[in-house]
Amino acid sequence: MPPDEFVIDARELVRDFGKARAVDGVSFAVAAGEVFGFLGPNGAGKTTTVRMLTTLLEPTSGRVVIGGFDVDHQPYQARRLIGLVPEEANIYTELSAWDNLMFSARLYRVPGDLRDGRATELLRTFGLHEKRHIKAQLYSKGMRRRLSIAMALIHEPAILFLDEPTSGLDVQSALAIKQIVRELNARGTTVFLTTHQIEEANQLCDRVAIINADRLAAVDSPERLKQTMTSVQAVEVAFSGGGPRMESVLRRLPGVTDVAKHGDKWRLYTPDPPALMPLLFDLAGQWELQVVSLNTLGPSLEDVFLRLTGQKVGPSAGGNGPGTTGAGKPGRGELRDV
Amino acid sequence: MYETTAARRQPEIGVEGPLERLRAEAGQALAIAIKDVRVYYLTPPMVMFGLLMPFFMFFSFSVGRGMGQEASLARLLALTTFFTASSAGPVILPMERRVRTFDRLLVAPVSLISVLLGKSLVGTFFGLAVAMVPLVGGLLAFGVRIADPLLLAAALLGSSLAFAALGILFGSVPAQNPGSIMMPSTLVRWPLLFISGVFIPLREMDPWARALSYASPLTYAQDLFDYAVSGAGVQGAGLDLVVLPALLALFLLGALKLHGLSRRMGY
Ligand SMILES: Nc1ncnc2c1ncn2[C@@H]1O[C@H](COP(=O)(O)OP(=O)(O)OP(=O)(O)O)[C@@H](O)[C@H]1O
Ligand SMILES: [Mg+2]
Repeated sequence: MPPDEFVIDARELVRDFGKARAVDGVSFAVAAGEVFGFLGPNGAGKTTTVRMLTTLLEPTSGRVVIGGFDVDHQPYQARRLIGLVPEEANIYTELSAWDNLMFSARLYRVPGDLRDGRATELLRTFGLHEKRHIKAQLYSKGMRRRLSIAMALIHEPAILFLDEPTSGLDVQSALAIKQIVRELNARGTTVFLTTHQIEEANQLCDRVAIINADRLAAVDSPERLKQTMTSVQAVEVAFSGGGPRMESVLRRLPGVTDVAKHGDKWRLYTPDPPALMPLLFDLAGQWELQVVSLNTLGPSLEDVFLRLTGQKVGPSAGGNGPGTTGAGKPGRGELRDV
Repeated sequence: MYETTAARRQPEIGVEGPLERLRAEAGQALAIAIKDVRVYYLTPPMVMFGLLMPFFMFFSFSVGRGMGQEASLARLLALTTFFTASSAGPVILPMERRVRTFDRLLVAPVSLISVLLGKSLVGTFFGLAVAMVPLVGGLLAFGVRIADPLLLAAALLGSSLAFAALGILFGSVPAQNPGSIMMPSTLVRWPLLFISGVFIPLREMDPWARALSYASPLTYAQDLFDYAVSGAGVQGAGLDLVVLPALLALFLLGALKLHGLSRRMGY
């Protein structure tokens, strides 16, 4: 793709706060019409990066080009293209939703004859229409977040930045926001979103950048990222019962490299899932248990994420002793001795 | 609502002429000013420092001094425009930074100078509004005669604008707590009352104090109000009329520099 089709182009971005480096040499480019996810744990530098991309923070070094405009030299032109939904809903709580939107419309130079119509439509879309004349300080957290997104959309920006748009929201509000992101994107808006929720990135993004401790660990589509980890395969099984010694028994099955308990299910990492399945039924027979469910699992984006951010996953964990298994940690040593 | 899909895949922004841009920026500055007046007029620090303080100062330093009515009015007008207009910035800017609504203004397609001008209009508006109290009271209740009404209008506007910009300069000091700006800014403004001809008339000052008074922005406002109300200023209305707008520009430039610093420091 020729570079001028990239609407966000970040090159070697570095940001220091005092002596601490928050972002270290991050480069990526986002094409027009893409949903680009910036995935990283707390403190990885996501917000810092967004603030540099949206002209709010000066990079210590490096360059940001938005829609062909270098934000350092032409911040005004760059700002005409963007909308920003920051981490915390920054709305005027002393004003109603309607007045917040009207102010945004004036600030973003929405022509006078379009303001009312757009505001009304946004309020409907975001389920705020009924309470539009109530002061925003009486809104719930989810309503505030929705209002802050609505305010970022009133000028129909070509590029929308969302900093953790669904964090702290209930399932329904989060779903609604994801739906809106999809619709906006379907209508041509380029979306840059940060998140630490892997599933969200998996569901929404065309491409994901994984940032860890101030550096980019990978940039690719979720599926391709998963393919890089074919070594992490697993069988997930749930029995109708089981005792405290279950884990040690599962661990000793041939081909099993690691065992992790996920709720009422056991996840057994193995390079050869088909070979493991009959063994599990045999085991159930011996123990006079039923196999309630049985699934094979490919690597999840979570596995990719954990590996890239330096935490142990699956087989590598099993090979190194205790690893990340969640179950029975206190008693496991004893069980093994039995 | 998103009918412009095709156009927006390749973001293209229209070329705008300087006049069009100027008109847009003026509209944005005004929108910011109106929003701020609505949001902040009743916040406690605004009422405390902007509304009550000037009158408190006046009565604690004027009672029993046997001043003429014109001199009293001129002094009150200088006090109110000075204190009220310069109180808005140190309240509004840190509050907006703390709740991050200031970022909303910074990512908008508007230049920083328009944002700061809009915010200066807030202080100007408050300053003018509070100055109306002694002015109307003086005219109606005490029958004070204004020597030069036109000059009075210029004095009211000039000093409100300049001191509102002074407030913006204070408020632009990188800090997120209104208290940590409010108090020091009051400490800076307060001593100025003694060297600016407000409590001690300029012509009665010791020479060293008089020399010092040229460094105080308030001196030029007080002197201009003296000319306007009683026709009895000291250093020339022309000088006052030049210095006040110059101070406005100076304070705004200083504020711009401080915001540049903030963007570099990341607050
Ligand atoms: N204004 C600032 N001054 C000093 N340090 C800062 C500032 N802003 C961020 N940092 C530091 O930079 C690092 C990255 O912070 P950032 O907020 O970008 O992380 P994040 O990825 O957004 O995290 P989260 O998921 O918690 O929002 C952190 O170590 C943080 O302490
Ligand atoms: Mg963050």
